[in-house]
Amino acid sequence: MIKIQKEDFNVEEEIIKIKKLYSNIGAVTSFIGYVRDNNNNTNVQYIDLEVYEKMAYKQLENIIKEASLKWNLIDTLIIHRYGKLQVNDKIVLVASFSSHRKVSFEACNYIMDYLKKDAPFWKKEFYDKKNEWLINTN
Amino acid sequence: MKIKYFAWIRELTKIEEENLDSNKIKNLEKLKTFLITKYPDLQKHFDKEILRFAVNQVYIVENIDIYKNDEIAVFPPVSGG
Repeated sequence: MIKIQKEDFNVEEEIIKIKKLYSNIGAVTSFIGYVRDNNNNTNVQYIDLEVYEKMAYKQLENIIKEASLKWNLIDTLIIHRYGKLQVNDKIVLVASFSSHRKVSFEACNYIMDYLKKDAPFWKKEFYDKKNEWLINTN
Repeated sequence: MKIKYFAWIRELTKIEEENLDSNKIKNLEKLKTFLITKYPDLQKHFDKEILRFAVNQVYIVENIDIYKNDEIAVFPPVSGG
């Protein structure tokens, strides 16, 4: 499942909603990305996240299909927020559901790597006196 | 065809999207030439090859033909997650 939304979300509830659908899930690996208060020794006030929504859905659907086939996942969840986000706000949740832990760890890592590299989202960080568009480096 | 701009490219063009005449702009190279003429500040970014193109929401690196109903997006490197 993919959700691209402005609103915050509850990690536990979102994971349980999917877990409830299957009895063969033995492992869930989740990654949560947050807004930090500091970047390159500069205080971050807030960020603005822009998305090319139509493409983001398409790209993330592709990566979920790929990861599901590669690791035989039972299900996958990606929630990515956009708009104005404050320090400590959640930005992204990726969760991979599988029978055993190893594949769920690997798949979650793989999906996040891809998301950082190719998913069409852009962060603009606002500092005390300036702002800056970021580029993902890793 | 519809051209969409994102992040600092959108700030540079000062518009989110525009419709261009597909009879005059038949491929991505022609589109780049058109964009540099209309937005000269884009030149240096094209030179550094940092901009990315998507045609109908799919990344494209080669020079492909583009058509009337295509949606083309021009944007900088991504920073999600």
